[in-house]
Amino acid sequence: MMLHVNDISLSLGKAQILRNISMDAAAGELCVIMGANGAGKSTLLKVIAGEHMHYQGHVLLAGNELKSMPVAAQASTRAVLSQQLTLNQAFTVAEVANMGRFVYSTHLSSLDKEIVTYALKTMQVWNLRDRTYPTLSGGQKQRVQMARVLAQLLEAPDLHTTDYAGKKMLLLDEPVTGMDILHQQLSLQLATTLAASGVLVVAVLHDFQLAAAFASRLLLLKDGTIYAQGSVEEILTPAHIKNCFGVDVAVLEHPHCHYPLVVTAAADGLFKSPAEEAINVL
Amino acid sequence: MNVSNIKRISSITILSILLLIVILLATGTGAMHMSPLQVLAILLDKAGIHLPVAYEENMPGVLWMIRLPRVVLSVLIGAGLGLAGASLQGLFRNPLADPGLIGVSSGASMAAVVMIMVQNQLLAFEHTPVLNYYALNLAAFAGAIITTLLIFRIARSGGQAVISTLLLAGIAVRALCESVTGMMTYLSNDQQLRSITFWSLGSLGGANWYTVAGVAPFIIIPMILLPRLAPALNLLALGEREAMHSGVRVPRLKALLIVLATMAVAAGVAAAGIIGFIGLIVPHIVRQIAGPDNRILIPGAALSGAVLLTIADLLCRTIVAPTELPVGIITAVIGGPFFLWLIIKEKRTLLA
Repeated sequence: MMLHVNDISLSLGKAQILRNISMDAAAGELCVIMGANGAGKSTLLKVIAGEHMHYQGHVLLAGNELKSMPVAAQASTRAVLSQQLTLNQAFTVAEVANMGRFVYSTHLSSLDKEIVTYALKTMQVWNLRDRTYPTLSGGQKQRVQMARVLAQLLEAPDLHTTDYAGKKMLLLDEPVTGMDILHQQLSLQLATTLAASGVLVVAVLHDFQLAAAFASRLLLLKDGTIYAQGSVEEILTPAHIKNCFGVDVAVLEHPHCHYPLVVTAAADGLFKSPAEEAINVL
Repeated sequence: MNVSNIKRISSITILSILLLIVILLATGTGAMHMSPLQVLAILLDKAGIHLPVAYEENMPGVLWMIRLPRVVLSVLIGAGLGLAGASLQGLFRNPLADPGLIGVSSGASMAAVVMIMVQNQLLAFEHTPVLNYYALNLAAFAGAIITTLLIFRIARSGGQAVISTLLLAGIAVRALCESVTGMMTYLSNDQQLRSITFWSLGSLGGANWYTVAGVAPFIIIPMILLPRLAPALNLLALGEREAMHSGVRVPRLKALLIVLATMAVAAGVAAAGIIGFIGLIVPHIVRQIAGPDNRILIPGAALSGAVLLTIADLLCRTIVAPTELPVGIITAVIGGPFFLWLIIKEKRTLLA
């Protein structure tokens, strides 16, 4: 098992944020964590990312106990893209992406450079490589950071030739927030491609549509515990969503779409016929 | 070879050449004038290389015993201040962090004054000038490291130093250190008062080979080790969490930065008193020219700090000759307006 989380609990200050969470994820899965604000999604991801080492329970990365893994071993197994990165020094885009290779070498080899170039091209920021980071737009910054994280993950300048199963894991905390729709799609397609090469991808997403389209498995958190986990069809039901988010939705099928569509509904009912609408107006 | 390598090598080469020129000029300038060629000839004579340049008989004595120790001391202390400024700015992730502004120098100065009082009581140090300087350096180092840790703890919030808290904590810590220093001065006897006053004039005027030997290891060690931390320090610019995710041992990095940076500042304070603004101006200028990459910034700041302090010291001993100005006045005259300009230019981004 690439990721094994066994009965973890975590308190920050006096507040208990996570309670008795257990989950397993295998190589090649694209596992999406969802939940309302404050449900503990980001905190769970941070525990797996090694940021809160005072958790109770066990976290195993590729069979190794997280608490006993040196930082360098963690970084060569697991790449993390966090939310709200602030970088206000005038590093160039290429320099930022180079940072992804730190754990392998502080002086870049030609392989390192090829990997960075490949990552920049994949995220479509190669043409920005000499721009300074603070001058980029929010979405461009996000793509540069994604390129950096991709450079940390890859072992060769190609997504398809290397089998990463059991070796690499990618954690994404709301990776597409602030990106335009094209780059949202590209980023998640990249995550799918990585998963197909054996990388375990664990992502926190807010958007039901993106989660439904790309997740191979969904985890629904509520009040610091796992409310439900399973396939997209099992998890995205009106009842689950009502219980976790307090919103009435309809889950629709569409002939051109291989995944369910989640549509929000007004509190007083869904899809009134034009006739009913007319009566209300009168 | 890529662009950043070329940039790195060329900026370091240019700065090294500049430093050599400044050293030759500063060593030659003074009551007895020597041309740069004469200086070079005298220096190379010692190494057994004889240049066909004529110089007067008493020149080598002046050069070796008076000029050179002073210039070497200014090079060392300037390099130390530049190094410390660049490293502390990387550590605090903020270009306004300066060893003088955040109170590190005041902490070092307070501890040095206490040490001077103790040294005057204990006669054991009297006949061992090098030991004397080492003791003063160690005391200044201890004072500097305690203030740095204190300020770091106060100003940190959510893994990042908040600049307003950092500067306010710096003001408070400086006031506290200065009050202790003032108290020490008040309590001291005549002999101690003489030593404290002489020391706190803050000048490179007392330079001799003993002071140089006392200061050198405290600045050469950071000079060797800090550039090795540059790649990790670059990642720290992304944030402590991101640096950790990328494989940086963040607690170790921070501890090393604090120890090495304060070591370099403290040795300078112990030898020459508080010299402000070098640690602020120098990294900023290097960053403007060569970018924020710490692999260039750290050695670049060391070289530029050496250049700037050597020029400042040259000015302070020549413009009002035969007396001299404290070197801190020159650096403050350049640094004060520069600091104001920096605040005005970047007030929206820096203080937000």
